[in-house]
Amino acid sequence: MGNENPAEKALNLIRGRLCDPTFVFRPLSASSDSNYSKLKFIVSTSVTEGCNNSILLLGPRGSGKAAVLDLVVGDLMEEYPDSVTLISLNGLLHSEDNCAFKEIARQLCMEHHLLFSKMASFDENSQFIIAMLRECGLAHKTIIFVLDEFDMFAQGKQRLLYSLLDAMQSVTSQAVVVGISSRLDADQLLEKRVRSRFSHRKILFLPPSREEIDSLLEHLLSLPADSSFPSGYVSQFNEKIKNITSDTRFKDMLKTFLNANSTVNSLLKFIFRAVSSMNLESGLLSLENFKTALSSMQRQPKLEAVRDCSILELYLLVCMRRLEVKEQSSYNFISVMKEYKTIHDSFQTSDFYAQNVCLRAFEHLREREVICYAENRGQSQAGEYRSMKLLISASELHQGMRSHACCPVSLHFPSFYFCQLTSLATLFRTSLQFCYAVRFLHLSVTSMSRWREYVNLRLTCSISDYKQRSSYNLQDLQVGNFIYNTQPHLIKSPPDLRITPYAKNCDSQQRHLNAHINSPHPDQISYVCVLAPRSLLSSPTLQPHLVACLTNAPR
Amino acid sequence: MSHDTISTPKKLKSRQRIAVSNLRTPDKEVKQDSHENLAVDSLSDCLGSESRGGTKAPSTIVCREDEHRRVFEFVKGCLDQQKAGSLYICGCPGTGKSLSIEKVVKQVGDWSKQACLPPVDTLSVNCTSLIYSARYILEIVEPVKEDNCYSSPLHHLQSLFSQKQDSSSRMMLIIADEMDFLITKDRGVLHDLFMLTIFPFSTCILIGVANAIDLADRFLPKLKSLNCKPMVITFPAYSKDQILRILQERLMVLPYVAFQSNALELCARKVAAASGDMRKALSVCRSAIEILEIDIRGSPGPESQGPTPDNPVVRMDHMAAALSKTFKSPVVDTIQTLPQHQQIIICSAAKAFRGSKKDATIGELNKLYLEICKSRVISPAGITEFTNMCMVLNDQGILKFDQARGNKLKRVCLRVDESDITFALQGVRFFRNCLL
Repeated sequence: MGNENPAEKALNLIRGRLCDPTFVFRPLSASSDSNYSKLKFIVSTSVTEGCNNSILLLGPRGSGKAAVLDLVVGDLMEEYPDSVTLISLNGLLHSEDNCAFKEIARQLCMEHHLLFSKMASFDENSQFIIAMLRECGLAHKTIIFVLDEFDMFAQGKQRLLYSLLDAMQSVTSQAVVVGISSRLDADQLLEKRVRSRFSHRKILFLPPSREEIDSLLEHLLSLPADSSFPSGYVSQFNEKIKNITSDTRFKDMLKTFLNANSTVNSLLKFIFRAVSSMNLESGLLSLENFKTALSSMQRQPKLEAVRDCSILELYLLVCMRRLEVKEQSSYNFISVMKEYKTIHDSFQTSDFYAQNVCLRAFEHLREREVICYAENRGQSQAGEYRSMKLLISASELHQGMRSHACCPVSLHFPSFYFCQLTSLATLFRTSLQFCYAVRFLHLSVTSMSRWREYVNLRLTCSISDYKQRSSYNLQDLQVGNFIYNTQPHLIKSPPDLRITPYAKNCDSQQRHLNAHINSPHPDQISYVCVLAPRSLLSSPTLQPHLVACLTNAPR
Repeated sequence: MSHDTISTPKKLKSRQRIAVSNLRTPDKEVKQDSHENLAVDSLSDCLGSESRGGTKAPSTIVCREDEHRRVFEFVKGCLDQQKAGSLYICGCPGTGKSLSIEKVVKQVGDWSKQACLPPVDTLSVNCTSLIYSARYILEIVEPVKEDNCYSSPLHHLQSLFSQKQDSSSRMMLIIADEMDFLITKDRGVLHDLFMLTIFPFSTCILIGVANAIDLADRFLPKLKSLNCKPMVITFPAYSKDQILRILQERLMVLPYVAFQSNALELCARKVAAASGDMRKALSVCRSAIEILEIDIRGSPGPESQGPTPDNPVVRMDHMAAALSKTFKSPVVDTIQTLPQHQQIIICSAAKAFRGSKKDATIGELNKLYLEICKSRVISPAGITEFTNMCMVLNDQGILKFDQARGNKLKRVCLRVDESDITFALQGVRFFRNCLL
């Protein structure tokens, strides 16, 4: 027997409601100031008093224009069963005049049980329509013309609009022309003679206010207290709904959602997703349902694509970004490979993959639409020589890399920094107590002038720690070392701290480091950037020191 | 029914209906006597409202006497001398051209009967329905007979007009409404039509109606060279006094006062300043009556301000509301109710296009948007959502995209005036600094 879980029944009921525009917009018909009543007033005066009218419904997509019109027409058809005829056209299908007249004639024929001939010419159709208008006017039947996507009808010579509106003015007819458009300036698109014949009634469909949204939520989500549900369940469910909607977190969530998209349609979609993720065992909605709905509606697909990339693909993306920053406007796979090679050479990355592997990674990126060919010609060239371009912005790339599971730390500085400490970086990141990331950088001298802008180090380490470790050998830290205070405007740097360029002898460097270590600034936090090549950092002597140092680091 | 029932609101409605029916644009309310079930019809008949072709209609139209007379003189002249002629009538929409022509036709019919002249064949065509069959107008003029050896009705007509006919042949009056639809690339049809009047024995009088003032000069240069340009009569747009007079004339037939005089004057002034279009004035008055009706219906109690329900009059505030509904663009309202992120996008677009720059790519707009969001500490939407919001704004006609390929390279330009944006967002503190 239909021993349906009441939760499932409730779910089906609510989902059914959300998909039925009549139910959704019905409470609006209660108030006398709403769009529904305005529209109804205009159309019903036309039906009862036999006058002609024309009106435009304007508003963003999904704000319920067609739904409200359906409600009005449905109500009128009930009240005056035989004296309303509905002819509906759509601007996407019938914007061509010939086609539109044929369609109107066909629909009129269907309504009045006449035979329609497909071979009727344009003139015959228009004469038929005018004759029908006259007849229906004499017989007091109102014809309602609904023109969806009204702005499409306003292209070209606007002959359909002119004929309809002119017929309404010169023939005894009872007709209403209702135009639905999402363009606010739809009536500016009309030709001047059509605009003169069009009465400038406009009904604007604005997004609902907070009170309307609250009442709409209640109307949609409350279960009716009828016998098909166990009564305790109904009261429990409605109580939970009231709790959720009065919760401030829910209100904030709703506010962030509405800040982006405030039409009724998007609100319905949001509620639908939330309701669909209802826990069927408990049978009650919860705040988490709404949270999941919000996050699923505000997805960022490109970000997810970057997050799913492999490390090599990330490298390629960073190379392309570097080429863009260097203002190389068009580049192809070969130039990206060259850049990759230069990076590998200057920074001695760990894995330098062969060209065919990189090409496969490239193709994979192209399939995921993270990159694409820059222009469509040149199809005959091989894929490697065609110019490419990135389809994601720099900020998306950064964000994606930041949320990547195992992105090498180095890649976070997209333009100039590069280092290969994948495993070490993750080790540090997990072991650090205060989300400070270690940046081990190896700079080449040529890019010195520009790296100031891009340094974003967040490593803190107190000098005294170094003091404890002063026994280790500076020779180990030889190649390309820098000690630099990265935020001189925030932190007073010890006067002996200078940038030391890559020097063959390390005596000066040793002196510098000693000076830095020996100058006691226990209460000063300085940002220390220690640069070392990878080979050095993997040496067993250095690693544990650095690890230990950094885990005790920030104070 | 209108005269004695003044007290109850039910009859009030019928009064409104009368007023509404009176204010309909002239050609609409041909209610035949068979409509007894609608009270309005018999009412409008008794009141002698203007109807097309009805004998109860007044014979002159207010404020167009001069033009009416000129057209009539022209046709009379042609008929007197049994000569052909062509006339071109131009003017803005809603200035009474078609109406005047119909009156002239009727008047000509009456006059020719009086003067015992043979009746005139009249053909009145609206050229909008004939575009696919631009040549058919000539077929309508002279249907091709089977035994005719001529290839087309045009030739037939041309041959007809080249020979002297017997004096019993009737004159033909052709009225071509919305003549600019007949303009094809080679202007063939227009030329042929007007040239029909040039033949030595032609018997047709051609009256063309259109909106463009210089149609004859621009599209019919050949006629000028043949020194037979059509006579041009321009119907100027209505001035404020003319609109006022026409409205008063229409409302004179009512036994009671429906409009306050300053309300009518406000309407006339506004419409005359905007376009001088009579239809607009009439529709504004109609919507003013509707507003009054809603007003009265909505406040049935004794605390309703204004006139008592017995004698409702359309006042200035109703008229002002009707005028603002008609003339206001919905842009300001919409901008005020847009969600916040979309308003930020509009602000950034307004900022970007302030100088001489007229369009930008989506990527640049996105950068500006991110800047504003960052400066106001709001979390910005991602690029996908940003593009979607731009599409929504494009749908509404606030931004405009062009058809470039690739999402980021589409060029965007702003369709709304910056002053509208400033006006719409002036109350919101958030945007005050954004727009500076």
